[in-house]
Amino acid sequence: MKLFKKQIPLAIVFVFGLVTLASYYVPHRTSEEYLDVMNSWENIVSAFGFFLGLISLFYAHYNKIKRKVDGWGYSLFVYIGFLLMVIPAVYSNGKQINPDASITWLGWAYRYIYNPLQATMFSILAFYIISTAYRSFRIKSLQAFVLFVAAFILILGRIPVGQMIWDQLFGFTKVTTGQAIDWVIGVPSTAGKRGIMIGVAIGAIVTSLKIIFGIERQYMGKD
Amino acid sequence: MSEGMIIFGAWVAAALTLFLFSFLYKDNPFFKVAEHLFIGAGMGWYFQTVYYKIMVPKILEPLNSGTGFEIAMVIIPSILGLSLITQFIPKISWISRYGFTFLMGYSAGMAIPVGLATDFMNQVLGTIEPFANFFSLSGFEMFNALIIAIGTVCVLFYFFFSVEHKGVGKKVSNIGIYFLMVYFGASFGNTVMARFSLLYGRFDTLVNYSSAKYLYATSWIAAGLTLFFVAEKLVKTLTKAESAE
Repeated sequence: MKLFKKQIPLAIVFVFGLVTLASYYVPHRTSEEYLDVMNSWENIVSAFGFFLGLISLFYAHYNKIKRKVDGWGYSLFVYIGFLLMVIPAVYSNGKQINPDASITWLGWAYRYIYNPLQATMFSILAFYIISTAYRSFRIKSLQAFVLFVAAFILILGRIPVGQMIWDQLFGFTKVTTGQAIDWVIGVPSTAGKRGIMIGVAIGAIVTSLKIIFGIERQYMGKD
Repeated sequence: MSEGMIIFGAWVAAALTLFLFSFLYKDNPFFKVAEHLFIGAGMGWYFQTVYYKIMVPKILEPLNSGTGFEIAMVIIPSILGLSLITQFIPKISWISRYGFTFLMGYSAGMAIPVGLATDFMNQVLGTIEPFANFFSLSGFEMFNALIIAIGTVCVLFYFFFSVEHKGVGKKVSNIGIYFLMVYFGASFGNTVMARFSLLYGRFDTLVNYSSAKYLYATSWIAAGLTLFFVAEKLVKTLTKAESAE
């Protein structure tokens, strides 16, 4: 049983990992075709992975309704929201726009249900970011001051009142807010970002090698 | 789509937007309804995307009209995908490892060349490239190239834990922190501006839907919500007063 539970899965990781890695560096039609097929396979398996999440969500809310826990009635709206998108999608065959450029039922559901919900949910974060900003911008050290200055230039520099303040304070330098923002993003911020990106890349490569060679196997779960 | 449905859509959109914004006053049933609808609608949207963009063209169509080889190339990943569902059956949940290991193997194999090319080599190249023609740059460009190179090295040193950060090493590492702070500050500023631009968009939509063309949808729904909160407050106050008596 160990063969089916452990060794074959580890062999799958090893074979697919190494062959995919090698195919990337082999300039041959076969390796290109292999990568195309694997990309398609990955899409298909990930699609089933999405269903795993969907079933899990539905099961969690079904249990809430079944056990009549506090606020169970709201769980019904998860199913209603799901159907509000899926029924129009089936009716419109997955298309948002008709050949005559008018919107379909799916387009309607996206424009008037999903888009307002999504955009508003994320826009609400603006209010919480302000309270976070208050906490993070309490200047306790020179490092916190640097963070504050960078954020301040980025935020105020993009609104008219910020540009007016900048002109009053630093107008004599002939540097515009746009130029200041470009410099902050293009020079010191890029240096910080590059350090992180290079570090992350090294980390990702090492972790990938550990996965391929079966050193890292936490994703297999217990047993 | 008829004009009536567009007006109805405006009412639905305005109501959902205001229901979510009502959370800024306090947690309430309208927010919770909209929040749960968002979860469901989000899953519904991704479900239809997965079905029409992946399941139909990559599974159902090849199965219906593909050659033997094409059908095999669909059945194998489908079995791997179906194996994931065994996660729900504890006794045979180990079968799901076949699907997960394929995903992990393929992703790990892809992550190495992609990470190496875009995140590693390109970043190193971008840092050292200006030095190839350093003396043909203007003074300001030279200054910028040096700042980027010094900053990148200092940040990398900050994350390098194989040697103890003391003496000169500590100073280099500290300089790295300042560059990181500028990056975090700039990222924070960008995030704030992105969220606010979304917020302006929602306000703009609400103002648009408050026009006569949409039968004053925003105004009516905002008035209804306000009435609800006032009535709720009144009922609570009266109940409190009665219980005190």
